Amino acid sequence: MFRDVFSLFIENRKALIGLIILAFFSIVAIFAPLIAPYDPKTNKVEVLSIVEEEIGRTKTVEREEIDEFTEKRVYTQSITTTYEKVTTKLPLNAKPSRNHLLGTTRAGQDLFSQMVYGTRITLAVGLITGLFTTLLALTLALVAGYFGGIVDDIISLFTNVFLVIPSLPLMIVIAAYITVKGVIPIVLILGLTSWPWPTRILRSQVVSLKNRDFVRVSRILGERPLYIVFREILPNMISLVMASFFTSTMAAIMGEATLEFLGLGNVSVVSWGTILYWAQNSGALLSGAWWWFLPPGICIALIGTSFALMNFAIDEISNPKLRKR
Amino acid sequence: MNRQESEQLLQCRNLVAGYRIKSGFVHAVDDVSFDLERGGFLGIAGESGCGKSTLAFAIMRLLKDNATIENGSLFFNGTDLVGLREEEMKKIRWVDISMAFQSAMNALNPVLSIGEQLTDVIHAHGEVRQSEARDRAIEALKLVDIPRDRFNSYPHQLSGGMKQRVMIAMALILNPDLIIMDEPTTALDVVVQRTIIEKIQELRKSLGFSVIFITHDLSLLVEISDTLAIMYAGKIVEYGNSDELFNMPLHPYTIGLMNSFPSLTGKITRMGGIEGKPPDLLNPPEGCRFHPRCPHAMDICEKSCPALQKVDPRHSVACFLHKGAENL
Amino acid sequence: MSGDILVLEGVRKHFPVNSLRRHGKFVHAMDDISFSLRSGEVLAIVGESGSGKTTTANVISRIYRQTEGSVVFEGRELSGKMTRTEELKYHKRVQMIFQDPFGALNPTRTIGRIMERPFVIHRIAEDRKAVSEKVDSTLTQVGLEPPDQFKRKFPHELSGGQRQRVNIARAFAVEPDLILADEPTSMLDVSNRMSIMNMMLSLKESHGVSFIYITHDLAGARYMSDRIIVMYAGMIMEIGPAEEIITNSFHPYTKLLKSAAPAPETGLKRKPLITGGDIPSLIDPPNGCRFHPRCPFAKEVCSLEIPPMKKIGDDHYARCVL
Repeated sequence: MFRDVFSLFIENRKALIGLIILAFFSIVAIFAPLIAPYDPKTNKVEVLSIVEEEIGRTKTVEREEIDEFTEKRVYTQSITTTYEKVTTKLPLNAKPSRNHLLGTTRAGQDLFSQMVYGTRITLAVGLITGLFTTLLALTLALVAGYFGGIVDDIISLFTNVFLVIPSLPLMIVIAAYITVKGVIPIVLILGLTSWPWPTRILRSQVVSLKNRDFVRVSRILGERPLYIVFREILPNMISLVMASFFTSTMAAIMGEATLEFLGLGNVSVVSWGTILYWAQNSGALLSGAWWWFLPPGICIALIGTSFALMNFAIDEISNPKLRKR
Repeated sequence: MNRQESEQLLQCRNLVAGYRIKSGFVHAVDDVSFDLERGGFLGIAGESGCGKSTLAFAIMRLLKDNATIENGSLFFNGTDLVGLREEEMKKIRWVDISMAFQSAMNALNPVLSIGEQLTDVIHAHGEVRQSEARDRAIEALKLVDIPRDRFNSYPHQLSGGMKQRVMIAMALILNPDLIIMDEPTTALDVVVQRTIIEKIQELRKSLGFSVIFITHDLSLLVEISDTLAIMYAGKIVEYGNSDELFNMPLHPYTIGLMNSFPSLTGKITRMGGIEGKPPDLLNPPEGCRFHPRCPHAMDICEKSCPALQKVDPRHSVACFLHKGAENL
Repeated sequence: MSGDILVLEGVRKHFPVNSLRRHGKFVHAMDDISFSLRSGEVLAIVGESGSGKTTTANVISRIYRQTEGSVVFEGRELSGKMTRTEELKYHKRVQMIFQDPFGALNPTRTIGRIMERPFVIHRIAEDRKAVSEKVDSTLTQVGLEPPDQFKRKFPHELSGGQRQRVNIARAFAVEPDLILADEPTSMLDVSNRMSIMNMMLSLKESHGVSFIYITHDLAGARYMSDRIIVMYAGMIMEIGPAEEIITNSFHPYTKLLKSAAPAPETGLKRKPLITGGDIPSLIDPPNGCRFHPRCPFAKEVCSLEIPPMKKIGDDHYARCVL
């Protein structure tokens, strides 16, 4: 069954394009050290070489005979090494060139390397947050939807209250107040503010599946509730869960970029969002340094598109009416 | 049928219609012919997948994009509807021929009141003043026993039976000569169904329109229609006067179908039904389409497809058991 | 009465309209439902939509708990809370077949996996081989041969008739004492219906199962059952032997059902219906007899109190003042 869905997915052109884009960025992220020509945070290239090494004479200080076979000798030797260090400062605010495919920042950092290394953080934060949010939402949805009653009432109340709170301002407020800055706080903030929406969607799917005849049949046959939840209901929700995951990941990537852009993350970590932050801070927009702010913007848009395409593909697969004959 | 041409409202001749999919062409309607006289009631009986809905849409020229009429003619009042230009067809559609769809739940727009939907129909087919359209809509609702205070009701506020009656009102509102009804009562309770049928009979008497009634419920059809056509796998396998067909069914499919309806009277004996399932219209069986399921299949049935032939002035059947074998 | 496998006494089922508020309006889906089912008999429950026939089946199968009244199965009263063992025992004895053949099958599982479950849950077979043999023999019993070919398929690859056979096979797999069949043929093609009905009848004979057969079709009820219950708006209107109910219908609603049913023998000589009207709302049912607003024979007393069940003949009762 899942093999069928998987092959349907691959055959769909939209999914394929989305998957290719995602694969492309994933490869870049994984092989970042091999792809990036420079260290992303450095503004110079240092080449250290040894010019000459002069070994001086040996001068004995002490000599002692311990026994018939053993002798102890203390001596000094001086070695003089002459180094050559060539420091090439990277150009500041340079336009794209052969050495610097995407130019440099005002501080002289190579943007191409920054973009390549930034892919790691962006993708990691996006995917981890997406996974976290989806798992949390799914768990709450299954518990609330299947068991109903007061458990459902409480979880739904909770969800609805959090849903009403605008997530972006909440994110900003939380991020501004916490003292620990870094990637993990960002993941937590994003995850804890975006779970209500998918929870609601997944819960209503659980409820509607619970009322389907085949679930009733299972109950009448005497199946245990846990079996019903995981083997009857969940497999029929796979496409919705996947769509949820893609949406959450997309939102997380956007959210992360937004928070970093506002300077609320750790601005010394290199991600597409922080690149934009520094671009903004250094007046790149004003000075027209398009190579600074365009690439992160375009890449964020591209990743967003890839997830959106995969989402469309899932829609088409799960709703046969949308499929082109 | 030895009747004058002018008495025939609709003459369907060798109609072929279907739809194109990736793997080929599905002949949902394969060489179908029948006549409908003015004021007559033709019942078309068949199960799912026999092509009866495609036939209904073909007559109305409402087939969707990948569905087409490939061949044949539909003479309505002398004009061939096949090949008629869309602007010309628009003048006929709903004004002369209208349709009541299966499951009114889906055919009515949930965000418009029923009064608005009726007046929309009127306005779409001519320049009429708002007040006059409203009056005619109220009249139409009255015909189907829906009180005028329901004019502004929305479909979800009406019961299933009332929604179906609104559908019928919509079909009647421009006073057509022919109404095609595609399973109009299938989703309704038996008492409501009977009420609707009685209403249709009553309106037929007073307004004089003809009806093509399509359903799978053969026992109902025998009661209410003058002429009966049994469809199977895109073809008409038996055709004629309903009393004759009921008293003397000839085609094995018709016999099997009649054996599938338990009755309220008479002895209770185990009845037969029909084995197997309807064929795939993309690759129908060779020869007679019914032969794989037929208890009386002969060698010839696998090789050629029998044509609909008269065995009586008002009874035709497409079966080698009865006629046609001698021609081959 | 001995020989009664199931007895319902004064069963009521009311659903709250608004789930959060306990003291609001209620849907009176079942009111004062009392009847007994004898061992080995087929009892048909006939009614239109809103009659409460499906709710009755859901209460007997314990999808819902009754609001009031008792359900006694094989001598033991079913209580609100049952232990897991008790529940399992009950489900081994009472099974249900649903109306929509496709909806009753999990679209993501193969027929083989679906058929394994009843044997595994109730420990009817212990190891994989025994389970597989059981599945094969059950599928063969319902005419799905060769079983191996069907076990590999998914529900959407089967026809409507075949799907319903799987559902029936699954219900019979646990060798129940009682099967509830909720309109098992109404969503099937006409030509399939007879073979499914006949199959249920022969399985009933060979396994000695009692049946509650729910339908809106009076003729189908006559074909399948020994006794018929006629339900309207949540209450029983008439109950008696099948042939009696049909030839000597007493309650005006039963007469209405009979006159509304298709009867090709009468042709155009049919008489018009004795009354029209709609089924009443179950949230605010009419006072007194639920049928009185539509009844052509209604008297004043009919709008004041609900008539009790009255004996009319041998084993034949009707809820009517006439």
